[in-house]
Amino acid sequence: MSMVERKATTVSVDLSIPVQADLVVLARLAAATVASRAGFGVEDIEDLRLAVEELCLSLVGTRDDGRLHLNYECEGDAITVTCWYEADEAPFTASGGEADDLSLRILGALVDDHGRNPAGDRPGAWLRKRRSDATA
Amino acid sequence: MDQSFKIEDVEIDGVPVVSASGEIDVATAPPLRDRLQALTSSGKSTVVVDLLGVTFLDSTALGVLVGALKRCREAGGDLPLVIAEPRILKVFEITGLTGVFPIFESVREAVGSVK
Repeated sequence: MSMVERKATTVSVDLSIPVQADLVVLARLAAATVASRAGFGVEDIEDLRLAVEELCLSLVGTRDDGRLHLNYECEGDAITVTCWYEADEAPFTASGGEADDLSLRILGALVDDHGRNPAGDRPGAWLRKRRSDATA
Repeated sequence: MDQSFKIEDVEIDGVPVVSASGEIDVATAPPLRDRLQALTSSGKSTVVVDLLGVTFLDSTALGVLVGALKRCREAGGDLPLVIAEPRILKVFEITGLTGVFPIFESVREAVGSVK
């Protein structure tokens, strides 16, 4: 498959991981793979890796129960990552505080758009990043 | 956990220097926090943190460093950082932390600043 064909293809990848600190790396890895396949450059891929990490952290903080469900959708020159958190135990409450503030600042600087998108009683968030070499 | 993550610490001219390498994320930040806490609890008010070998750093890592900086300053010291990689420096810039931490490009400069 050529690079041009790849860029024109809509790709959707789903990932579901237990909320464990040493498994969040899988969310970054999937983001990097989808972005690389879509023709994103090294800088954009690194930005997306960090942004996806922060997206996950903004939902689960330091919790270690439940699952994170991620969908990576690449369409044209943009990737949208949507993430939901499904808790095993107590109802979810946002942690707030300094770490959340840092997460939001990082997200805001690295992606084109992001926001919260709860699915029923499950907290959710999303981000969207375009290739920086894409024409407006 | 990223297998390449490592922490080493040495003393240079009497100044403790903690060198981290690899990816510092939600999984690997706790050992760094524990090492810095151990040093500050043992009476070291200034610790140089060498991030030259760090390839990835998230808000969890920033939180660990900010916490250590607060402890050092409360004890009358400081927490100079050593960063040369633009990608790592960028994380400090976008969070406004370049104005909070003293940042140097080499361990020698960082140690020299606190002697």
